Amino acid sequence: MSNPPLTARAPFTGLPFSSANGRGVLAIDRDGLGIATILAHKGQLNALTNRVRERFGIELPRGPYRASAGDVAFAGIAPGSWLVTSEIDSHRFGASLKEGLGAMAAVADQSSGYAVLRLTGPKLREALAKMLPVDLHPRSFRTGDVVATLASHVGATLWRLQDTTDGSPVFEVAVYRSFAASFWHSLASSAAEFGFVPGG
Amino acid sequence: MNSPELGAAGQPNRLPSTGLIDRSRVLPFRFDGTRYTGFAGDTLASALLAAGVRLVGRSFKYHRPRGILTAGSEEPNALVELRGGARREANTRATVAELFDGLEARSQNRWPSLSFDVGALSSLLSPVLIAGFYYKTFMWPAALWEKLYEPAIRRAAGLGRATHEADPDTYEKAYAFCDVLIIGAGAAGLTAALGAASGGARVILCDEDFVLGGRLNSERQEIDGLAGHAWARQVEAELLANPDVRILRRTTVFGVYDGGMSGARTFGALERVSDHLPIPPSHQPRQRLWRLIAKQAVLASGALERPLVFGGNDRPGIMMASAVRTFVNRFAVVPGQRAALFTTTDDGWKSAFDLAAAGVQVTAIIDARGVVSPELLKAAKGIGTRILCGAQVVDARGTRALERITVREIAGPLSHFSVDTLAMSGGWNPSIGLCTHLGGRPRWSQQIAAFVPGDTPRGMTVAGAAAGSFSLADALREGALAGAAAVQAIGLGPVKPFGARASDEATAVWPLWCVSESRAKSFVDFQNDVTREDVALAAREGFRSVELLKRYTTLGMATDQGRASSINGHAIMAALTERTIPELGTTTSRPPYTPVAVAALAGTHRGKHFRPTRLCAAHGWAQERGATFMESGEWLRAQWFALPSEADWLSIVTREVNAVRSNVGVCDVSTLGKIDIQGRDAAVFLDRLYINLFSSLPVGKVRYGLMLREDGLVMDDGTSARLAAHHYLMSTTTANAGRVMRHLEYARQVLWPQLDVQICSVSEQWAQFAVAGPNARQLLERLLGDTIDVSRSAFPYLACAAFAWRGVPARLFRISFSGELAYELAVPSRYGDATIRAIMQAGEPFGVTPYGIEALNAMRIEKGHVTGNELNGTTTAADLGFAPMMSKKKDFIGRVLARRPGLSHPDRPALIGIKPIDKSARLYAGAHLLTLGALPTLENDQGHVTSVAFSPTLGHWIGLGLLARGRARLRERIRAHSPVRGGDVEVEVVSPVFYDREGARLQS
Repeated sequence: MSNPPLTARAPFTGLPFSSANGRGVLAIDRDGLGIATILAHKGQLNALTNRVRERFGIELPRGPYRASAGDVAFAGIAPGSWLVTSEIDSHRFGASLKEGLGAMAAVADQSSGYAVLRLTGPKLREALAKMLPVDLHPRSFRTGDVVATLASHVGATLWRLQDTTDGSPVFEVAVYRSFAASFWHSLASSAAEFGFVPGG
Repeated sequence: MNSPELGAAGQPNRLPSTGLIDRSRVLPFRFDGTRYTGFAGDTLASALLAAGVRLVGRSFKYHRPRGILTAGSEEPNALVELRGGARREANTRATVAELFDGLEARSQNRWPSLSFDVGALSSLLSPVLIAGFYYKTFMWPAALWEKLYEPAIRRAAGLGRATHEADPDTYEKAYAFCDVLIIGAGAAGLTAALGAASGGARVILCDEDFVLGGRLNSERQEIDGLAGHAWARQVEAELLANPDVRILRRTTVFGVYDGGMSGARTFGALERVSDHLPIPPSHQPRQRLWRLIAKQAVLASGALERPLVFGGNDRPGIMMASAVRTFVNRFAVVPGQRAALFTTTDDGWKSAFDLAAAGVQVTAIIDARGVVSPELLKAAKGIGTRILCGAQVVDARGTRALERITVREIAGPLSHFSVDTLAMSGGWNPSIGLCTHLGGRPRWSQQIAAFVPGDTPRGMTVAGAAAGSFSLADALREGALAGAAAVQAIGLGPVKPFGARASDEATAVWPLWCVSESRAKSFVDFQNDVTREDVALAAREGFRSVELLKRYTTLGMATDQGRASSINGHAIMAALTERTIPELGTTTSRPPYTPVAVAALAGTHRGKHFRPTRLCAAHGWAQERGATFMESGEWLRAQWFALPSEADWLSIVTREVNAVRSNVGVCDVSTLGKIDIQGRDAAVFLDRLYINLFSSLPVGKVRYGLMLREDGLVMDDGTSARLAAHHYLMSTTTANAGRVMRHLEYARQVLWPQLDVQICSVSEQWAQFAVAGPNARQLLERLLGDTIDVSRSAFPYLACAAFAWRGVPARLFRISFSGELAYELAVPSRYGDATIRAIMQAGEPFGVTPYGIEALNAMRIEKGHVTGNELNGTTTAADLGFAPMMSKKKDFIGRVLARRPGLSHPDRPALIGIKPIDKSARLYAGAHLLTLGALPTLENDQGHVTSVAFSPTLGHWIGLGLLARGRARLRERIRAHSPVRGGDVEVEVVSPVFYDREGARLQS
């Protein structure tokens, strides 16, 4: 039988929502993002830090922060553990990361494990306040900050990106893929009063 | 006033021009079916008073006519039913219900009508309806309690009716963070907010009213030459212009809780987003529950005026003096035409002055104090009223509303005054409920005869009337100081010095806890109909502590928590038992400060959104195939796949099992937990977790493993695959995935931090499908082509491999839960949907059958595999027949405690199979196992049936069970007795493995 390449299915495809008019909150499915979890092997933290610096030009963050260069970003999610993302390469990124860092860290591909949304819009913080027990005030949660938390009973990892040129905040949030529909429901209902626009 | 005239025409008690209402917006509404009008800015209470309505409800126990006592959220009398249909709500205080166009309100607790209420006859029974009447009157015969007494009492007492329809509105929850939370936006709250905001703090200012300003809106005092309410508007505008200030109106802070980072506290608050509208606007909730996390808090909640306890003090027309001022000044409504004042405080006199200024005839000022300041006397001269100092109102009469009061002057005669309104002022109780929510105790202040905050929750300061400082000048100053102190405490600042000034005023108070001469009912707790005589009875019968008094008389147990009334009751008790109030103490206020609807606490987590649902990557495909889903923890899993012609679940499951046993089937097993374990010590780590060895497992192989809890009981089972020398993949049961992950994290971080092990959940990364049945290999050969050799020799039972397939990384495991030749294929979840479709396509020539977890369950029971029913937290490895698996070459978690005598006793239950003697008999899980002829008693219980299934392979029901000394009892006949589901079935004890005991099929 023929062997065409398999077609990927995006986690937030075709999910329902109902919203007021307006563009208060915008959400883009980041399906296709390369994602991997890395955990430093015992005693290898410095070697890992050096390797990441050499290979990606990134200073491995110590703490709940995210550092990026080019297509790649490292977000600290636990002591000795990072969620690494790449704008390109999807699941191939995990394999290449393992090749590059495998001697210093346990690498696990999570390109399918997490469903990631990029969120923006002038009313984003108000909508997220209905979901997250986290202070997202611009002075309190700065660009590059990362938090692992619960969003409407769903485990979520959230990080802040540069604001848009018109001053709207930009966050990305990763949830385990099976929760995508439930998370979407919470997000869409939280954002409904402000105008929720999927797909940006 | 039955005509629907517009505007003030139907409002005889409305003043012509003053007030903070919008006369251009006329709002029609109905009360008990009659049409009235009010204005925007009115509450239901002010609109009813404007229309001349004085009787608005009947009391809880005695069905006494009641009117409007207060103008705020402490209202105990004017409780009404609002709206209709699914939105009908009971017990709303008319004093906080904002008027809206078309509001429908009804009085409560009356029949057939408010003015003629049959239940009021219970007043005649009042000698038996005294405190403790439940305990005394209805004790005998006991059998009548549930059938007669309780239903009768419940019908007679109680208040409004709840709707039985589902709530059509939505509710939501939200978090907000701030440096300084300010509770109450009166004079003190506003200056606190100004101060904190000027110091650069993030401020949240909450007020339960829909207009900021608190008493500033109700009084005629000036600040810096501006009317108080105008000054409040000016401050509000300044605060609104600051992006770091959030103002929450219509928001009650109802509780203080622990929690919050670095010394912060969490406050619960309820925002009534749409209660003032007929229905919530689209995409707006009815109410929003806030969790406010604040580093510092300023409590500026003001104070509540205390009623006076005298005969007939609950007649409609008797009103708190401060409420009178609110109605006159804020709402431009006079409560009546001929008024009197009964006061023990200086500021009570203001009500007389304000009433007079509004054109109401003030007949008398009765001050219980013998000596009153000359300024007050002088001012009172100007309004031409009779002044009686050292006098008390001893009785108030009137059929449906106040008509006449009787006054006793000191050692003097009784005099009578014909009045329709009596303002009363017995002092002020600071609103300090929130101070005691975390265990703080209030302190008695003799000076103001009230409890003031003692120790407050950390980070909370109290300002203004809430702190017992009752003058406006004090409120402004203390608020500003508290705001500045809060800012300083968190290292912000400096704050802008505050200069607003108000003139000083007289605030002297003298406590009069009750008018002892009164013979008529004198109400202490209006909402629960507790009288002075009830308190006296409690004292006589020995219920003398405040906590016993409360429970015996229900004093302070109504929804208002006795906010305004309890102190009177406690003071009366103190006097009767010759103790001081501090000696007697006071009851503790607990959250919530005002009632909170359960819907608001649930927020959006209602119905099927009660908790999150997890969906498999191939969920959409299963839906297309007509799967019936069932919950498995948070997951939805396909239970079975009915064909259009099939209706009976057992025949569906039988077809699915037969297809797997005779041909090939496919099942989504993605929900099993998957933990990626890496590191140089990964093998050692697994050896210590499992009872059996994993360091000896060759790369490219899978092994079944069992792990114990520290206490020696079984925790979970599953397979682990060795993908590389230092890389394992553990699988767990669906139900225990999270628990096992925690267990591993604990072992790694706490027990053996020296090991080089890294673990990571990859459950969600991989979608996994079991392909099982004699034709499974052929299907996989078609599916995988040249990618991997799946022949018996190249890929034997318990082999595993990782490879690339159609452009994605894939993993294949030769493991079987069904007992057939089986493979599990894992792909990244993004490709799960495409993969199941590819499997179905590859299986088309064989007629591959998708099967659900019901068929999976039947097959695992046929094979004697254990799941959650057997791994139930009470079984040991030996109970389940795994004793030989327990390695003696190593230590592992649970090894030591598994050897405890109780866990290794020969009488322990052991896993066995059962089959019915009568092959047509049905078995039930949960049935008790008994020897033949034994009575079904606890002593005779031999164990129970854990799992049952109809075995399509054997053609009859089979079961697994835990039976005492089970393994020694094979071929014995016993009974499976199920008193709950019916049935007492004779069964034979057999091996738990019913099918292919040698394992020839799964190794084929």
